[in-house]
Amino acid sequence: MRSYLHIKGKGLWKFCAFIVLAIVLACCGEIITGVDQPATATIGSVVPITVHINIPTLGNGGPDYLIFGFLVPKGWKAAQNTTISYTSPLGNGIMTLIPDGTVAKNGGGLTWPAYMKKTFQNGGNLIDDVEWVAYQSDKAYPHSNGDAISGDLHIKIKVGADGNNTLVKLGYVITDSGNGFTSDSNGTYYSELITPCFEVTGGSGDLIDFCNPQLTTINPPKSLDNDFVTLTFDGTVTSTQLDKVSETYLCATAYTTDGKTISICEQTDKTKMVQTTSNSHKFQITIWPKSFFGITGTQTVTRMEYFITDKTGAIKVGYGNTLAPFTYTFKCS
Amino acid sequence: MKKNNIVQQYCFFAMAVIAILMASCKAEKVLPVNEAAKDISGSWQVVRATRNGTDLTSIIDFSQFRINFKDGSYTMVNKLPFLVNNDGKFSLDDPQYPFKITFTANGAAAVSTPFTYPVVNGKRQLSITFSPGCPNNSYVYVLQKVN
Repeated sequence: MRSYLHIKGKGLWKFCAFIVLAIVLACCGEIITGVDQPATATIGSVVPITVHINIPTLGNGGPDYLIFGFLVPKGWKAAQNTTISYTSPLGNGIMTLIPDGTVAKNGGGLTWPAYMKKTFQNGGNLIDDVEWVAYQSDKAYPHSNGDAISGDLHIKIKVGADGNNTLVKLGYVITDSGNGFTSDSNGTYYSELITPCFEVTGGSGDLIDFCNPQLTTINPPKSLDNDFVTLTFDGTVTSTQLDKVSETYLCATAYTTDGKTISICEQTDKTKMVQTTSNSHKFQITIWPKSFFGITGTQTVTRMEYFITDKTGAIKVGYGNTLAPFTYTFKCS
Repeated sequence: MKKNNIVQQYCFFAMAVIAILMASCKAEKVLPVNEAAKDISGSWQVVRATRNGTDLTSIIDFSQFRINFKDGSYTMVNKLPFLVNNDGKFSLDDPQYPFKITFTANGAAAVSTPFTYPVVNGKRQLSITFSPGCPNNSYVYVLQKVN
């Protein structure tokens, strides 16, 4: 025997469901509805970016300050090279840098930039050399019953302070000073938007590609010859002549301040790269360049060129899987 | 003559009793509690090392590195990236409650760094934070005295 649920006025149920859904969606959280930014820019130019936001509210609360996080390469020194203003129905004003050491609401004792980094990490950028720069509105706004505040953030950033050509995913987050990056039964109090790869051209430095996986990466991304430098070869990025080998070695040439060239291209324990986990086909070596290249106290290594080789040294893989070497410049900015 | 001898014996006895009484009631002095001066003399090796929070202990051979502190001087054996590149003098900001150690390599300016001096598993450790390369790259070496 089958039973059928008969409801009078099916449309009424649909309407109620729609109302409930609308309340959930419209409730309480700051939302980034869109970002207008160019796809490319030249080094040193001032790039205008507009972030469209909407702040629906349910209950009465606040007043709170709008918190805004901007994800950019560290080398751009965005805190010094950026201005942000806002326009809204409640008035216009500016966004100011949140002073260092200000503890974030619900951030477990972290500062706002650290809380952003912990929550949103590198926003999909593959090199850990980006930072969240945190701003807050100069004026607080109330959460009044049912109001929805929409507005725009107008960013002007001078890009590429480090002089490097760059491919990077810029990121944007908003929340308010009363909630932080939290959710509860009333909704989610923050919104994150990561944009597609943004390109900066016209620089004299190395290309720093945060967007695309690289055959080799260097950690820390910015280092000197007196740092420990970890070089990783990721054989899974593309097919190379080293696909079938189980051991890889570093073959590197250092260029020093006094014009000397030092080449270390041997297949020994000194240059052997260790597979990170078995069959991962990612190989790693950590060197102290001063000692690896055996330089004297007065010399400094300014840059190095390198290949990844097999055990015989006959197979060499270089930049972009070509016979040109990978290059790395030792510098801090 | 005999009586005189008895008096002498009494006197001696009385003096002995007084001496014992005086000695027995010595006022007790409260000793000031002095924190021992921290002595870091000896040979130290790295037992843990991190770079920007990443553990380096297992990927770098730290076993040969030694730093020896003696009479205000230090020497390094099998050098690794460190606060200083050459041997020289060291000092602590406060011998009893040191928070900062200053290294003055021969022919170089003094460099200071905060350090902690905890006891871990019954052994003193020295934890030193420094940046030998780029200022943004922060290293922590935890040193332990070589037995």
